[in-house]
Amino acid sequence: MGIVIAVISGKGGVGKTTATANLGLGVALNDKRCVVVDFDIGQRNLDMILGLENRVVYDIVQVMEGDASVKQALIKSKVNENLFFLAASQSKDKTVLESDKVQKLVTELKEDFDFVILDAPAGIESGYEHTIEFADAAIIIVNPEVSSIRDADRAIGILDSKSHKVKNGEDVAKYLVINRIDADMVQKGEMLKSEDILEILSVKLLGKVPEDKGVIDASNQGKPVILDKKSVAGQAYFRIASRLCGKKVDMKDIEVANSGFFSKLSGIFK
Amino acid sequence: MKSNQYSVKIYETRIDDEEEFISFFDTNYTLFKDHLIVIQGKLPKRIENYLKVKKLKYLHNFDLPKGRSRKALESELNAEKVESVISKQIAEAKVEELSSRLQNNLTVLDDMIRSGRELNIEGDLLLLNRVNSGATINALGNVIITKVVEGAIRCNGNFMMLTASPKANIIFHGVEVENNLLANKLNRVELKNNEIIITPVLKKEINWA
Repeated sequence: MGIVIAVISGKGGVGKTTATANLGLGVALNDKRCVVVDFDIGQRNLDMILGLENRVVYDIVQVMEGDASVKQALIKSKVNENLFFLAASQSKDKTVLESDKVQKLVTELKEDFDFVILDAPAGIESGYEHTIEFADAAIIIVNPEVSSIRDADRAIGILDSKSHKVKNGEDVAKYLVINRIDADMVQKGEMLKSEDILEILSVKLLGKVPEDKGVIDASNQGKPVILDKKSVAGQAYFRIASRLCGKKVDMKDIEVANSGFFSKLSGIFK
Repeated sequence: MKSNQYSVKIYETRIDDEEEFISFFDTNYTLFKDHLIVIQGKLPKRIENYLKVKKLKYLHNFDLPKGRSRKALESELNAEKVESVISKQIAEAKVEELSSRLQNNLTVLDDMIRSGRELNIEGDLLLLNRVNSGATINALGNVIITKVVEGAIRCNGNFMMLTASPKANIIFHGVEVENNLLANKLNRVELKNNEIIITPVLKKEINWA
């Protein structure tokens, strides 16, 4: 029996889908069976970031409507045999989701996989509520800026009131990933510090991901950045994925800029 | 202005049977000849002619102003009095209930008030956690919040106790409290003689570094 994790943010464009793809692959690289499900009905992107866009035959709506089985709709990753993908519908909209159908799908996926990672849509509408409803845990992605923090705060509030687990008197585990941290800007005081974000949201920190220009290129090519061993964001995602799999990985302080003598020296030879 | 006031005797009736009416008036003519006859409802031609021939003054379908007896007036006045006593009692009870609801109603919360949440507190509020940006608290009574406020507070009580909250939106009795007046570690905001007075309870810690 696996665990269902919803990846949420409230605000759009903070890197939810990128994080879902990378964490899914990272978990798979840790030898766990993982399925990533795109719940952004009507605006699917996860297929592109995973490089599986031309493999999609059946989507999640067809599975929930009973037009296709889960087995038929699951797409195996090209890069890792532990990773599977379930696409969102591009033509329908969020209103097609229904609680009991979502529950049936999620329960079925839980039987087969160690990790079921749901990529939530931006916003806090019905599509978001259905994504978090049957999740055991949530990973909240934020950028170190005030609007992202406030939207995440609102999303957490809804998670705490609408989740199935909370309604049954249990707690939904919540973890925070701070994405796109620019060490220089934090040092100059132009970007929110991690401690301040944690104070505002009061959620456990799962990891920090530094700003990395390679992420966009990796997404465009359909190769998640975690595959690039040299990428700082990729390394960060791998550390986070390992923590998800129960490994003890120390937090790396990425907020301290690399301005030491050796890094300056290596900067000359770049 | 010259005016006269008369009391007029009125005989008011409704005609169902023309024969009966005529025979009644024939026998009682002397009694009713000085009355004003008021016919309500239908007035048949034959009766109209009969009234004219007999030279009786009459009105057809006329809404008469009817006086009330002294007794009726008195009982009406008494009823009004009782009603006003009852409504006064009800009003007093309502005021009492409201004040007790405000007085003996303390809400103690240790929830983090996240963005989008709106708390409406009837009495006093003791909050032991943060109020995040985008959250609103409306309190009719006093407010004490022990952690930082970044959302909106509407307080209508006698006082508020707040920590330094540079990002909060605080309205006390409809007046916005400036954030830089709440610079100390713990501040008391109170209403005295229609004036908002802010006093530090715990001073700002001096940072020696």
